[in-house]
Amino acid sequence: MTTSTEAPTRSAAARAVDARKTYGTGEAAVHALAGVTVDFPEHEFTAIMGPSGSGKSTLMQCVAGLDRLTSGSAYIGDTDISKLNKTQLTLLRRDRLGFIFQQYNLIPSLTAKENILLPLTLAGTKANDAWFDEIMRTVGLQDRLGNLPSQLSGGQQQRVAVARALVPKPDIIFADEPTGALDSRTGIEILTFMRRAVDDTGQTIVMVTHDPHAASYANRVLFLADGQIVDSMDDPTADRVLDRMKQFEG
Amino acid sequence: MIKLVLSSVRHNLARYLATLVAISAGVGFFVAVSVISDGIISSLDGNVDAQYGTVDVAVVPDDTTTVASTGAEPEPLKLPQSSVDHLLALPGVDGGAGILTAPVAFQAEDGKPFATSATGRLWITDKELNPLTVTEGKAPTSSGQIAVDQGTADDQHLKVGESLTLLTLAGKQKVTLVGITDFGDSDALDTGGTVSISEPDAFTWLNNGQQEYASFYLRGNDPSTLVAEAGQVIPDGFNVQTGNEFRQDQRDANGSFAQGLKKALQAFAVLALLVGGFVIYNTFSVIVAQRLRELAVLAAIGATPRQLKRSLRLEGVVLGIVGSVLGVITGYLLTLALEGVLKATGNTLPGGLSVSTSTIVSGLLLGTIITVLSVMIPARRAGRTEPIEAMREAATESASLGRTRGIVCVVLGVLGLVAMLAGSSLAVIGLGVVAFVASVFVGAPYLARGGARAARPLLERFGIEGRLAVDNSVRSPKRTATTANALLIGVFLVTLVAVAGASIRDFAIQQVNDLQSADYVVVSTGGTIDPAFVAKLRDVKDVNEVVAFRREPVTIDSKASIASAGDVAQMAKIASIKAENGSLADLTTGTIAVLDTGEGKVPAVGSTVTVKDSRGKDVQLRVVAVLAPTQDTGQTGSIIDEHTFDSLVGDVAPTVAFVDIASGAQGSTKDAIQNLADLRPDITAQEGNAVGKLIRSVFDFLIKAVTGLLLMSVVIALIGIINTMSLSILERRRELGLLRIIGMTDKRVRRMVTLESVLISLLGTLGGMLTGLVVSLLLVLSFNRLSQATITPSIPWVELIVILVLGVLLGVLAALLPARRSTRMEVLDAIAAS
Ligand SMILES: Nc1ncnc2c1ncn2[C@@H]1O[C@H](COP(=O)(O)OP(=O)(O)OP(=O)(O)O)[C@@H](O)[C@H]1O
Ligand SMILES: [Mg+2]
Repeated sequence: MTTSTEAPTRSAAARAVDARKTYGTGEAAVHALAGVTVDFPEHEFTAIMGPSGSGKSTLMQCVAGLDRLTSGSAYIGDTDISKLNKTQLTLLRRDRLGFIFQQYNLIPSLTAKENILLPLTLAGTKANDAWFDEIMRTVGLQDRLGNLPSQLSGGQQQRVAVARALVPKPDIIFADEPTGALDSRTGIEILTFMRRAVDDTGQTIVMVTHDPHAASYANRVLFLADGQIVDSMDDPTADRVLDRMKQFEG
Repeated sequence: MIKLVLSSVRHNLARYLATLVAISAGVGFFVAVSVISDGIISSLDGNVDAQYGTVDVAVVPDDTTTVASTGAEPEPLKLPQSSVDHLLALPGVDGGAGILTAPVAFQAEDGKPFATSATGRLWITDKELNPLTVTEGKAPTSSGQIAVDQGTADDQHLKVGESLTLLTLAGKQKVTLVGITDFGDSDALDTGGTVSISEPDAFTWLNNGQQEYASFYLRGNDPSTLVAEAGQVIPDGFNVQTGNEFRQDQRDANGSFAQGLKKALQAFAVLALLVGGFVIYNTFSVIVAQRLRELAVLAAIGATPRQLKRSLRLEGVVLGIVGSVLGVITGYLLTLALEGVLKATGNTLPGGLSVSTSTIVSGLLLGTIITVLSVMIPARRAGRTEPIEAMREAATESASLGRTRGIVCVVLGVLGLVAMLAGSSLAVIGLGVVAFVASVFVGAPYLARGGARAARPLLERFGIEGRLAVDNSVRSPKRTATTANALLIGVFLVTLVAVAGASIRDFAIQQVNDLQSADYVVVSTGGTIDPAFVAKLRDVKDVNEVVAFRREPVTIDSKASIASAGDVAQMAKIASIKAENGSLADLTTGTIAVLDTGEGKVPAVGSTVTVKDSRGKDVQLRVVAVLAPTQDTGQTGSIIDEHTFDSLVGDVAPTVAFVDIASGAQGSTKDAIQNLADLRPDITAQEGNAVGKLIRSVFDFLIKAVTGLLLMSVVIALIGIINTMSLSILERRRELGLLRIIGMTDKRVRRMVTLESVLISLLGTLGGMLTGLVVSLLLVLSFNRLSQATITPSIPWVELIVILVLGVLLGVLAALLPARRSTRMEVLDAIAAS
């Protein structure tokens, strides 16, 4: 077993090593990621923050196998995903990763329950009933399971998306502004579920957010600016994060 | 406005591509068939002018409808030399030409015959009336000289001056080839080749030595007077026409076929265009739905419904015109390609390629009008856009189906069924078919939804992708239905033609087979069935009996007909010759058994009829029996007592024979009879059930031809499926991306697209097939009801299964492009902000 130098007690669920992503060439080149090396430790909730255009989404997408790095490498566990082909990447996402996006998380023609079970259905496996019930209880959707997404509110839809990410017990869940389109109360509910999943079941979560309050639910916050990690903060609170963010602007 | 429209068309070009292809394919097909049939028509017209251009007055036999209706090849009346002498002696006649033809063939030195379907023709000495020109050598003027057409000379490598053996009705003849002839811009006047024979030989070789002509043409300055005078000197059964009348008749006879062909082909092209209409309608519906936001914004900033509608209609007009112009070009290229293929295989397109203005104009109009009509409904929808729709989430058509639709569907369906079941005229039944098919179209969204749901358990076996494929087609049932309808109409017609065609074919064959007939009919055209030939026939293994009889063209009470004489008792034993009324046993001197042709009045038993032979001799005969119409009495015509026949036409030799073979006879017996016939150019042997076989082959050919022509509409329906799938994939970019993000492999995404495409094409195929089955069965029923026939429906299962399998394959084929496209999109599109 390899041990990370930075966090000897915990191995990394995902890693990026000197990750670079460049859009365009020559004068017009945009360096969305300009050499990022980072570990996302197991069983931890990591938040990524930074100004708009700093490369947060790009970093997440490249580590999650949705996009390819221009150079450097990205690992899920010990798997170097830059060496995987398209199908292998898809299967890796299906079997080992979970996703929550800001919007458009659900298949409109499937019911809430079918959407939640979709990753398992695709893999041809069944949900553990006790586990499924537990998640349903936490997320509080028992009576809306038969509804289509169009019959659910935005908050309910997002809960379904969280449940879908949790049910297969993935190695790591990537969330890109999961509360970005919700009002603050619903946002708090969603963040509480995610925190609970980390505390109770040891789930690993990486979340991109703009919201200092959302970041305060994480164990650690990474700050990105111009495609590079410029700072990090353990056990953040909303106020400290807000202060740190103000420095970027100032 | 126009600028906005043009930029919109340019912007959406990819989406409009299928529309353009559909329009131009339909218009192209239309133009191609029009050009080709125009070519055929003009070449046939041209032939008539080349052949008969200088004829001022024509003396031709009356139509011999009597005999033609019963299936036998009649031997028409001939004009005797005495009448021709009278004609030529009329004042004002500048020249004349008699037509006389008979089959001939050549025999090579090794005894093998060649050019076996050539026509021997009396050489016409009047230069102006002769349609043939001598291109090499000279005209055949004295005995033993012949000329052949350029085509035959080339094919058989014949040279002027060569000595040849010609097989004629009068046996083998030693001849010298003295000339090569040409007919207009084609090589030969007759399809199998023309052999011109000099006057001294012609009557002996072509007509048993009788100085007679099949028809006679005159030149003269005053045709109308000539016609009146000629009418006085010609015998019964002939007709005098002016050159113009005569040419018009010839043109009609040739042209009606080509005109009919043109209309039928054009009908298929229009059908293909209508199917294209479904594609256009679908494309625009989807585009309107996708642009709802844009339209709503326009409405919000003050665009009136009328303006919204007009902008969409204008897009339709632009597309219609562009597509139609492309179609005209495609059509012309298509005919060029066809001509090229024909040239490469050594053939030519008759009449060449001439694109008439009317073809171009009707092609452009058809394409544009159908496009504009197809855009009407989507344009109305665009006009109804409310500003509020700019805020709504969903950008797809509504999945709900209005109440009116259900009511219209049921009413039309019931009306259609009732009309088909109880209609008392063809028109009512036809309307019933239209109403029923319309009801299927209107109700298609229900069928699509129901059918897709019914297919769900089956498709779910393919996993979640099968389930999603069903869901997606149910989500927009109208679009699914319109796409399927485009295919439905083609499959409906194919099934209708296959089932109704097969039913009628089998019925007709059964009817013919019910009529017993002689096993073989051997006919000499121009020659005789001499005792030596009869003996040879009898020597063939398994031949039981050969009965030869004499047959002559006559008129009975001035109606052209044929009459036969022979050993009636023997004939009746091996052939189906029966009296409906009276008795054949009463056939004695001075009596006749007349044939009931099924048309007009039949003389009663006991009455007297006047029978005239071609030389004008006549005799009064008492009717002792009326013959039932059968295949065999079709050969004999009326039957006259042998002695009476002798005194009427002379003691001529038999020209026809019935042959009876043992019931277990082998194919070798057939071959032996055929070989005997082949050695004599004048003799053909026809199997007794040949009519049944002929009917079968004609029907089978028609069914195949119609099916082939319907293929064009199926191709356009295929474009429609590709189009719908592509549009729906664009629409579901996010959904597909999400599925791939959370773990659906590309292979499964492609399979999902394929399954949906197969589902749509199966809905269309099954729907069309069921509609076709129902309509054709009801048609057979009502046909039976109206005509007291007893047609049993024949369902061609094999063909139906083949169609079904093809439907599945079509779906797979249609999915190829969209499926590739579905996985070429970026997964990140799913989460990109819109
Ligand atoms: N497909 C692309 N083509 C070109 N440039 C891109 C593309 N995607 C992202 N970029 C650029 O890369 C940089 C990083 O983008 P990224 O989406 O990662 O930012 P972000 O930190 O997630 O911003 P936000 O907070 O607004 O979501 C930006 O400058 C962006 O313009
Ligand atoms: Mg982002």
